[in-house]
Amino acid sequence: MIESVRETQKKYCSRAIVTAIVVGFFLIAGDYRPIGKGLVLGTIFSIVNFVLIGETLPWRLGKVKSKTLAIALGSIIFRYALLVVPLILAAKLEQLNFATTVCGIFMVQIMIIVDHFRAAITSTFRTSIK
Amino acid sequence: MAYDVQTWISLAAYVGGGLAMGLGAVGAAIGEGYTAAQANEALGQNPKMSGEVFKSMLVGQAIAESASIFALVIAILLLFVNPAATSAITASSLFGAGLCMGLGAIGSGVGSGLPGGQACLGIVRQPAAAGKLTTNMLVGSAVCQTPAIFAMVVALVLIFIDYSKAPLYPTWAALIGAGLSMGLSAIGSGMGGGFAAGASCEGIARQPESATNVTTTMLVGQAVSQTPAIFGLLISFVLMFKSHEASTTLSASMALLGAGICMGFGGIGPGIGNGMAAEGAVRWVARNMDHAGELMRIMLVGQAVSQSTAIYAMVISLVLIFVL
Repeated sequence: MIESVRETQKKYCSRAIVTAIVVGFFLIAGDYRPIGKGLVLGTIFSIVNFVLIGETLPWRLGKVKSKTLAIALGSIIFRYALLVVPLILAAKLEQLNFATTVCGIFMVQIMIIVDHFRAAITSTFRTSIK
Repeated sequence: MAYDVQTWISLAAYVGGGLAMGLGAVGAAIGEGYTAAQANEALGQNPKMSGEVFKSMLVGQAIAESASIFALVIAILLLFVNPAATSAITASSLFGAGLCMGLGAIGSGVGSGLPGGQACLGIVRQPAAAGKLTTNMLVGSAVCQTPAIFAMVVALVLIFIDYSKAPLYPTWAALIGAGLSMGLSAIGSGMGGGFAAGASCEGIARQPESATNVTTTMLVGQAVSQTPAIFGLLISFVLMFKSHEASTTLSASMALLGAGICMGFGGIGPGIGNGMAAEGAVRWVARNMDHAGELMRIMLVGQAVSQSTAIYAMVISLVLIFVL
């Protein structure tokens, strides 16, 4: 059970960080340093957030509905306290671009959606060829 | 005790930031809690499927919490970024931005948790359709985020547009009204979209062959469910971008504030009602694919009727803005 969650986390987290590093590298090389740095920093925290969602999943199971809701709220508050860090840094420091930091924070979600859309399009294409 | 303008701006930004994140966390927590509760039920039915259920729950929750991350971004902007202008009117635009984002994230948070929960149950019922279910859940959840995105757009406009040249009275009320109009009307649409998406996951689990019909009906149903939020967005834009004549009478300000309140509250019920109509249609399309066309027509007629109250609210809001 936990293995399958870890596999999913590994898949999306590795894609997110590779994408951020490649895009960030080109941005930094093109002298858009704050934009590139913001993207990479946001992505790192997006990954930490996604890993923590997986780690807190078992706590929410096997409980009554009200307890599950309370744990979900507590988990959100804890994880958001972490997500605040890059946002505050980007708002305060000129070396980090706020907009790309926000994009980085959504990098794991973007990877999930892109992966599923690609799979859906590929399977539709294969079916139409057959 | 007299306060200077800067103090009012700081006060509004802090209260707005608190409202944005405080209210924004409510919906996502309920949505995630619902997903986890359904995952419990799914595991109870078939513990051997725990891996797939956990995977679906993880991915679903990551998408479902996007609305509250939007709220977090707006809260940080309010707390740490210096506003474009420093006039008294900036205070009301910052407060309106926080209110708009906080309220606007509630419906999307709750709504996007519903397909996640139904997908977990569906995977246990139809393990072979796990891929279709996860894709449908992600599409449904992503569409549920639309009202929250509208709210974020309005909040960003309120934060970054310089209103300092506009007359303080009645523009202060128009800006808070804009926040209320968008934030409140997004609640119903976000939840309504979630009802349709949840039913589509349930439907695909019942009848995997119906996936194409079910997803199409879901998307049409969700699109119509978003209409009250679009009305709310329209009234917000009118309130934010129409030039209001200077007037120190209380009635001029209250008319603009009332317009926002009217459209905001008026959009909640139709958004939920439209979602219920879509939920029913999607559920029965899965059970009776041959009548998918008729079911969609009935859904659209039902949604059009349910929509009428949002249209009345919009008309009254426009009267309050342009006539009174």
